Amino acid sequence: MRKILTLLSTAAAAVVCITLTLTPGKAQAPAVPAKAVAKAPANGRRMSDGKPNLNGVWEYIGTANWDIQDHSAAPGPFWQLGAIGAIPAGQGVVEGNEIPYKPAALEQKKKNKANWPAEDPEAKCYMPGIPRATYMPFPFQIIQSNKDILMAYEYASANRLINMGKPIEAGSDTWMGTSNGHWDGDTLVVDVTGLNGLSWFDRAGNFASDKLHVVERYTRRSSDVMDYEATIEDPSVFTRAWKISLPLYKRADKNAQILEFKCVEFAEELLYGKYKKQPASK
Amino acid sequence: MRQRVLTTLMVLAAVLVAVLAATMPISGQAPAGKTKKSAYTPPKLPWGDPDLQGLWPGTDLIEVPLQRDPKAGERTEVTPEEFAQRQAKAERTAENDRVAYVAKDSKVGINPPGYWLEHGKPQKITSLVVDPPNGRIPELTEQAKQKAAQAKQAKQGHGTNETWEDQSLYDRCISRGVMGSILPVIYNNGTQIVQGPGYVAIRYEMIHETKIIPLDGRPHEGSNIKSYMGDSRGHWEGNTLVIETTNFLGDKNGIGLNGGGTPHSADMVLTEKWTRTGPDMMEYTATINDPKTWVRPWTIRMPLRLNPEFPLYEYACHEGNYAMFNMLKGARAEEKAAEEAAKAGKK
Amino acid sequence: MRKTLSVSIALVGFLLAVSPMRAHHAFAAEYDGKKQVHLEGVVTQMEWINPHTWIHIDVTEPDGKVTSWMIEGGSPNILLRRGFNKGSLEKGQKISIDGFQAKDGSNRANGSNITYPDGKKLFLGSSGTGAPVDPGPGK
Repeated sequence: MRKILTLLSTAAAAVVCITLTLTPGKAQAPAVPAKAVAKAPANGRRMSDGKPNLNGVWEYIGTANWDIQDHSAAPGPFWQLGAIGAIPAGQGVVEGNEIPYKPAALEQKKKNKANWPAEDPEAKCYMPGIPRATYMPFPFQIIQSNKDILMAYEYASANRLINMGKPIEAGSDTWMGTSNGHWDGDTLVVDVTGLNGLSWFDRAGNFASDKLHVVERYTRRSSDVMDYEATIEDPSVFTRAWKISLPLYKRADKNAQILEFKCVEFAEELLYGKYKKQPASK
Repeated sequence: MRQRVLTTLMVLAAVLVAVLAATMPISGQAPAGKTKKSAYTPPKLPWGDPDLQGLWPGTDLIEVPLQRDPKAGERTEVTPEEFAQRQAKAERTAENDRVAYVAKDSKVGINPPGYWLEHGKPQKITSLVVDPPNGRIPELTEQAKQKAAQAKQAKQGHGTNETWEDQSLYDRCISRGVMGSILPVIYNNGTQIVQGPGYVAIRYEMIHETKIIPLDGRPHEGSNIKSYMGDSRGHWEGNTLVIETTNFLGDKNGIGLNGGGTPHSADMVLTEKWTRTGPDMMEYTATINDPKTWVRPWTIRMPLRLNPEFPLYEYACHEGNYAMFNMLKGARAEEKAAEEAAKAGKK
Repeated sequence: MRKTLSVSIALVGFLLAVSPMRAHHAFAAEYDGKKQVHLEGVVTQMEWINPHTWIHIDVTEPDGKVTSWMIEGGSPNILLRRGFNKGSLEKGQKISIDGFQAKDGSNRANGSNITYPDGKKLFLGSSGTGAPVDPGPGK
């Protein structure tokens, strides 16, 4: 008899326990997650398949976005900004410091530079393309899965998916191009085609056409530094291929994340200002 | 005899427990509608997280209304007759699309060709909103109603397309917000999940958004950092990914197609749940909790189908936004014409 | 045939009336519903861009004068998923448009009928249908 009672009360207790755990919780106040806080092995050097782990928030420190070649400090276009708007000096990231323009293309580069900043796609909040997205003064995040590799750039919410499977062909030309990747030892090699030729390389007016072909190489040098190289080819603009190389740094802030820089609103006056309704002039 | 009684009681107790466990709504799922008992366990990624990766476009759901027809009451599924109507409509649309040649006397519309759109597959669900039980968005709060009235008032006497701000955030190519990026529309409903250790990333095709969701339990950003897509934090409840998003910019996007509808406030808390219910099916729910805007929380549910043939393509919206120039220039041309007509009238 | 046609027209009208496409910026804000145009021209370029593609054509007037027009299409992503690509509409291809001209009078048009000279709809269905005027993908 006692056994039966014990059994029944145990069963009842079990039912009560289960009922309490399964009842839908109270709505909606932001709660600390109750369980399953993922142990992020994001700092491990290798993924479980042995490939280098490139996951993380990365950013370039330097002035490549101003000018990918060596340059001295210089005044900016708006004296009203004082030293805030001035151009810092920088050591270039172009190997040999020479960009082998064809003569007509060099003239175009000079025109671009003279028409900066109004003609710079960066001022218009246009997506920066490759390689410029890599060295913008904004972080980007790499989400490396067991399949493809996603790169999400803070600037203008630009992003691209690097296809690590069978290479795909670009169906049309885009701002961020079509990226096919593979591993060469511990280096991620990304072949970028289908770029539309409308991005610049920097604020100095360096540019290419829609024949641009970029081959990138990402190699982790240490837990916090990654070496980035990009070989640039464009037979309609340059007389030969050339290369840029620069280090990328892992953001070490606590809880580093990319934020939102949706810059269209900052560029609307620049782009559309002359078409808005002007105050009545009678 | 005693042994048998004991055994019988144990069996009864076990059955009782099992029955209760099976019928009790499991916490974490949508409160309304049928409870989904998902027997499917998705494969695990090498780092232990459930694998939700893939292309999950909402294209199939294009013809399902966001809000339920009031005549359907609390019905979450259409009647067989209504479903037959949906199928017939889909067949007519497909047939129309198959007409290869334009008739010489056909009426010309002021849109690009109609076949340059995508179409859904007839669905049984009556609406995407599933809670409140009537499938309709709850009433606005007094505060929200006042805001809407004030916004309307501010537009009085304001011409069309005076500036770019007279267009929606979508047509300015700024953002559609989180819900506006996933509610099915006429095309490009591409949604892709990519996972990495400690993160889930969700890509939305229009306007090239990437939502990155850390899973490590870190707190939200400080409340002074606000954005169109908000700040997301995720965790697993069993095999369900639960995403909580806060830190929204307020009075911008609404919870509607392409981010339209009544703008939500900065205090909205959006709770999304992604549960893979089969190798190629995903149950997606989103609960909108914004006491400043709606009198109660409400929930949207969408069954999404894995479609490897729906890759995302770049949608560089702003870069190609000729329309903004054209709308502004068109409005200026009309104003000029009206001015000149008035001057001519005065002579 | 005629019945199908009237059903089609009615359906198109219905779709235009209720389609959420109207919510995606009012084309009526860009184009003038009173300025209907019929253009026949030769493709010089197709911009595969979002939100809408733009097909550039050269139209030769009866007096021999050549004017350039831009025709607004739908989103290219839909075409890419149907198997078309940037090579699918070749430079030099003749096309016809029935549409409406831009409000500011510039040579831009938007219309529901974009066809080959024989009336066959451009980019209908998937590519590679085998029709002589419809080049397959991958060119």
